[in-house]
Amino acid sequence: MSLTYTPLDEIPNIHATARRAFLSGKTKSIVFRKRQIAQVAWMVKDNEQRFMEAMKADLGRPYQETEFFDFGIVYGESRMAYDNIEKWTKEQAPDFNPNWFLMKPRLKPEPKGVVLVIAPFNYPLFLLLVPLISAIAGGNAAVLKPPENTPVFSALLAELLPEYLDKELFHVVNGAVAETTKLLELPWDHIMYTGNGRVGRIVAEAAAKHLTPLTLELGGKNPVIVDPKVDLEMAARRIFWGRTSNAGQICLAPEYVLVPEESQAALVSAFRNFYHSFFPEGAKKSDSFGRIVTEAHAARIKNLIEQTRGTIEFGGDVDIAEKYVSPTVVSNVRADDPLMEIFGPVLAIVPVKDIDEAIAFINSRDVPLAIYVFSFDKALQKKVVDNTQSGAIMMNETLVTAGAPGLPVGGKGPGGYGYYTSKYGFDQFVHMRVSVNNPAWVDKLALWFRFPPYTVAGGKKIRSLETPLPPRPTDSESSISNTWVVLLATAVAAASSVAVLRAMERV
Amino acid sequence: MSMLVPTPIDEISNIHRRAREAFFSGKTKSIAFRKAQIAQVGYLLKDNEHRFIEALKQDLRRPESETILCDLAGAYIEVRSAYDNVEQWTKIQKADFNLNFFAMSPKLKAEPKGVVLLIAPFNLPTFLVFSPLVSMIAGGNAAVIKPPDQTPACSALIAELVPQYLDNDLYHVVNGGVPETKKLLDLRWDHIFYIGNGRTGRIIAEAAAKHLTPTTMELGGKNPVVLDPKCDFNVAARRILWGRFLNCGQICMAPEYVLVQKEHQDRLVDAMKEVYASFYPEGPENSDSLARIVNEAHAARIKQIIDETKGTIVLGGDADVSKRYIAPTVVRDVAFDDPLFQDEVFGPVLAVVPVNSIEEAIDFINSGESPLAVYVFSTDKSFQSKVFDNTRSGAANANEVVITTAIPGLPMGGVGGSGYGYYTGKQAFEEFTHWRISIDNPSWADKIGFGFRFPPYKPSKMLAMLYPSLPPRPAQGKNSKRASTKSGAGKL
Repeated sequence: MSLTYTPLDEIPNIHATARRAFLSGKTKSIVFRKRQIAQVAWMVKDNEQRFMEAMKADLGRPYQETEFFDFGIVYGESRMAYDNIEKWTKEQAPDFNPNWFLMKPRLKPEPKGVVLVIAPFNYPLFLLLVPLISAIAGGNAAVLKPPENTPVFSALLAELLPEYLDKELFHVVNGAVAETTKLLELPWDHIMYTGNGRVGRIVAEAAAKHLTPLTLELGGKNPVIVDPKVDLEMAARRIFWGRTSNAGQICLAPEYVLVPEESQAALVSAFRNFYHSFFPEGAKKSDSFGRIVTEAHAARIKNLIEQTRGTIEFGGDVDIAEKYVSPTVVSNVRADDPLMEIFGPVLAIVPVKDIDEAIAFINSRDVPLAIYVFSFDKALQKKVVDNTQSGAIMMNETLVTAGAPGLPVGGKGPGGYGYYTSKYGFDQFVHMRVSVNNPAWVDKLALWFRFPPYTVAGGKKIRSLETPLPPRPTDSESSISNTWVVLLATAVAAASSVAVLRAMERV
Repeated sequence: MSMLVPTPIDEISNIHRRAREAFFSGKTKSIAFRKAQIAQVGYLLKDNEHRFIEALKQDLRRPESETILCDLAGAYIEVRSAYDNVEQWTKIQKADFNLNFFAMSPKLKAEPKGVVLLIAPFNLPTFLVFSPLVSMIAGGNAAVIKPPDQTPACSALIAELVPQYLDNDLYHVVNGGVPETKKLLDLRWDHIFYIGNGRTGRIIAEAAAKHLTPTTMELGGKNPVVLDPKCDFNVAARRILWGRFLNCGQICMAPEYVLVQKEHQDRLVDAMKEVYASFYPEGPENSDSLARIVNEAHAARIKQIIDETKGTIVLGGDADVSKRYIAPTVVRDVAFDDPLFQDEVFGPVLAVVPVNSIEEAIDFINSGESPLAVYVFSTDKSFQSKVFDNTRSGAANANEVVITTAIPGLPMGGVGGSGYGYYTGKQAFEEFTHWRISIDNPSWADKIGFGFRFPPYKPSKMLAMLYPSLPPRPAQGKNSKRASTKSGAGKL
């Protein structure tokens, strides 16, 4: 199925149109923004069947996964933005301050302008429309770049968007590397990129040339810690679900499981049971299991499976022509195994000695998008929270925070920066414009001392308005650090020993 | 002029490593620790105020009052603000109630980014080092500070005092010029905070891109003033000239040019002449109330702009590059294509631009990069709104210039060419932290609600019940679409 790419010389025109539309001021109206947000939701609702079929064609994705992850999240976002936009866009006053209140200090979120949203193949509806809703709420114009390897979906979006949304403000540009490169040459007021680190760097470098602010939502490599004392069945079911949804192609998906060596077999056994209960006739025949996006990616995963030095407990079958990779569990995986970077339905189990080794293992790798802890032990949970870093940390669950209104999705380090969903997504696409209004008479009363020629009296007045400092920390509180004290002590000791030596010489 | 000792290049990676190890030691987790460090920043400045005042006299020949007002006051405000608020900022927050998710206790907590780099400019080397530093500390980060090399006395003082007051493992000063900055930019940081100009900003953003490092860019701008002929020209002239000549024009928030209706230009110039005489009764070069340009290169740059302007110099205009002296200067009848508009002047030269109408003024402002601030002098609300609503800028201030940087609760930040991100206050704290979200899903959740999500999938009404109701469909109109006749699955 071939996707019609936007002609390269059309792309700067689209950018110019969007910019002109933004500068026309039509997005200032909150009522206008709310209509557009509602239209995004109705565009999906009116065409649910077509979108579900598109994802089935492109990704072999079962309808329910599209309903759960794509529709549910987009509807939730549209509802939240629609209901809260007045609150989010309201002008605010900072806390009362006697020195400044006469100047009426205020802050107001203003749109950045024309934003670019680039989404990857795994959840393009979610990853385009949720940022679009945030951008609209902020009063921006937007250009969406859907992925080229989900051609049915991307063509559908290009067809429907202009039927539902303002045609001048909001655009779809389809294409591959050449078209994306062209887009990245233009000056955007914000770019939101979801995908992998390699392309993330390219996007960031292009943005740097125009001093464009960015949101980067990058990879996962998300670990799971399983406490053997937890309800192993509950854990295995939720982990396996997180790994096999969308045939493993979710940036939040659990990638590897850290479990004490003694419990590895029991966990494998639980996974095997759920394989059978999820896919009673096997995954390949199941309506409830998706496919890999392209043959190339399927081949890539096949390669990794063949190279693993772990033990393939079940699965491991790949049919490249069908883009099928069976749900696979591999045990006895070590840190340097090729399987540690997958984006497919292959779960690696890494046996460890204890929780400390598990934590050390996680910390020796890039900061993940999410850490999953399966345990009822509050102390163990706290230990993991306090000693690791991640965008999200979930107890006894995988994935679902992406759908929770009010919880932003965002990474750290190689996982990226910035957020999407809810108010945090809105904040990415606005800047706080501050303002004051100083009545004329204030100089006479309060700020006369600022004008030259500076006088002693003026200096005293400035001093009198100075903010009082917090209490000085005591020696034990402050880190007038040990190093300094040691140095001083050493210097004193050295000086006194020299004095002693000299004294001894004279004797 | 004192010599600034640059940090040896091969020390720089060690410093980075030590800061990283100190961060991972976990000692910044304690809010009490952070508060103590924040307070120490305050005392670092307070105990040594005279030394800072002297250093800035040496580096910029800046009058004591200006140092106290512009460089120190803002830092004290930030110390107080962070100290008083860090507990609240770092508290665990609960997500707003949602029927589908409340049982999972959804929460958010602001966590430190890690090891952050601060690159500060020469014009306000105390405020622009210690204010961001306080925000970084409040966020629980380790930090490496790169003070400006063009203010050697102040930067040497900073390098001397930081180890005496702050934790030696977490907070470091790296001094030097281009080679040292290049070395810093090769390393991997968790955030880079840059204050300066757009050209260097691009270089830093490119370096950050290689490591996928988030950045804050606080850049400059050619900040315009739009004058309503009906406003009090004396008040306006006094405030505008104050803002322009402060720190000898080296303030990113300073007004660079004034747009005034051409019939009123004479009146404005007269008002400015009066103010000028009152500011410098013995002439500016003899005044104790005027700073100097930071170095000869910048002085020469500004002198050239003055020499090349096609406008008429009505005040000042003289320069002595060897003394880094530029007279406070006002130029009238400046046209839109004047050399004065090529770049930010960042010196004590104010352009007065006669226009035919407010629309012309607005168009001219919009023809350039979005500035840090747009200023309007007017008591007429609709005049103010017309300018503010049709322009974009970090700040939109009526009847005042510059001073808003010091107002607690108002973050400093630009848009477009003037940059992105913020410093001061809660917004700065959020630059240096990331939201870590968490949930805790009880086992029973699958039995009562979420069980349908597991394969094998069956068509289920459960899912549609989880959907929120959609916003109302907009009424038929240009952009609405009639519902398709074939309704999709999921309809209740």
